[in-house]
Amino acid sequence: MDKLKIDELVEKYNEGLSDPAETKLLEQLIEKGEVDLTRLRELHALDEQILKVETPAPSLRLDDQFYAALANEKRQQKRALSFSLLSWDLFPRLAAAAVLILSGFAVGYFIQSPSQKTEVSELTKEVSDLKEMMMLSLLEKESATQRLRAVSLTSEMDQVSEKVTNALFTTLNQDENVNVRLAALEVLKRYSKSSEVRAQLIESIAFQDSPLVQIAMAELMVTIQEKKSVDALKQLLQNENTPKEIKTKISESIKVLI
Amino acid sequence: MNLEALSDNNLMMKVREGDLDKMGLLFERYKRPLYGFFYGLNKEQELSEDLVQNTFLRILKYRNLFRGEGDFRAWMFHIARNVNIDHHRKHRIKATEALENWQERVGHHENQSVEMQQNEEHRMLSMAMDRLPADKREVLLLSKFEERKYSEIGEVLGCTEGAVKVKVFRALQELKVIFKQLEKIS
Repeated sequence: MDKLKIDELVEKYNEGLSDPAETKLLEQLIEKGEVDLTRLRELHALDEQILKVETPAPSLRLDDQFYAALANEKRQQKRALSFSLLSWDLFPRLAAAAVLILSGFAVGYFIQSPSQKTEVSELTKEVSDLKEMMMLSLLEKESATQRLRAVSLTSEMDQVSEKVTNALFTTLNQDENVNVRLAALEVLKRYSKSSEVRAQLIESIAFQDSPLVQIAMAELMVTIQEKKSVDALKQLLQNENTPKEIKTKISESIKVLI
Repeated sequence: MNLEALSDNNLMMKVREGDLDKMGLLFERYKRPLYGFFYGLNKEQELSEDLVQNTFLRILKYRNLFRGEGDFRAWMFHIARNVNIDHHRKHRIKATEALENWQERVGHHENQSVEMQQNEEHRMLSMAMDRLPADKREVLLLSKFEERKYSEIGEVLGCTEGAVKVKVFRALQELKVIFKQLEKIS
């Protein structure tokens, strides 16, 4: 069909004068891409209005449910993966390696020369790396006791790497055992001077559904005087699953912070 | 992180590789359009939230099926459609309201206040959308939330881009008729 006839057909449709056969023909042209929908004035105007109609927003319940489901999926994923590197077979080997390195360190300590001082600091780093590796491997264990051991290992480290703090936050946000979460929070308290750690602590508030951890977090925010945590604490108040007694405690913490 | 790394397809590939936290980014990006889609179809807040949740759960469950070649958003809406169909099949809900009963179709939940705050024209347009047959309403909602990317909508519906344009044309025609009827009544 030539362009002129197409233009006439479109114009006739826009005037509201098309008969059913002409409308059918118009449909065929639309399907072939020879007529663009934007040329049909009234329909295009209606389509434009549809875009402007405001969409209602979902409630916070959706967020709570989704992130809880995601946390659960992550836990299941961890259990399903077989960490051959982190099996029980490896642990005694790691421990033996640690003993050897520490013995070497002890011997070297008494025979120090300037070049050997460099070796000592390298050994210290090796020990630190080994502790970190042990800690991270223990955090993956099924047993809550082993995970608690992992967290307490962290408290023996002079300095912790970003990898370790990230692992602690993962534990705080996702560990299924409340005691392990509380232990992770205790360790993270020591690093709360860091602005990054503080920011992550605030984010962690939303992940907590255990009343004990919720209270501990609210108390920590008051201790470190972190006013930026108020919004996150208010969200806990709005969550209908938060027990009444906890809401009272959180309200008190917010009053102190404001 | 550069922009390419944050694209839908790249994020979904990361999820597929085991980085489930990236699913959170996709959730934040699409929870509102998906909710709008389900709410437009069902007009129930709690149900629509559940269907959004189910859609993301299904995406997680079938993450290994995502190949990264097609469009993530089309795949997501394809899953969303199936979630909606499964829900209604399970609950056997039939929509047979006549035009005169449109007052009963206003939603019974908090989102009603949002509808009331819209200007009169938008409110009537929403009501007119409610009156459309489900398949026509669905195609207009997809057109809205997929930004009129008709080829992408074709992937969702399993038809050609041209066929999608015809569906949109027919849906808009019927919407115009209903809208004019509502204007006369009000």
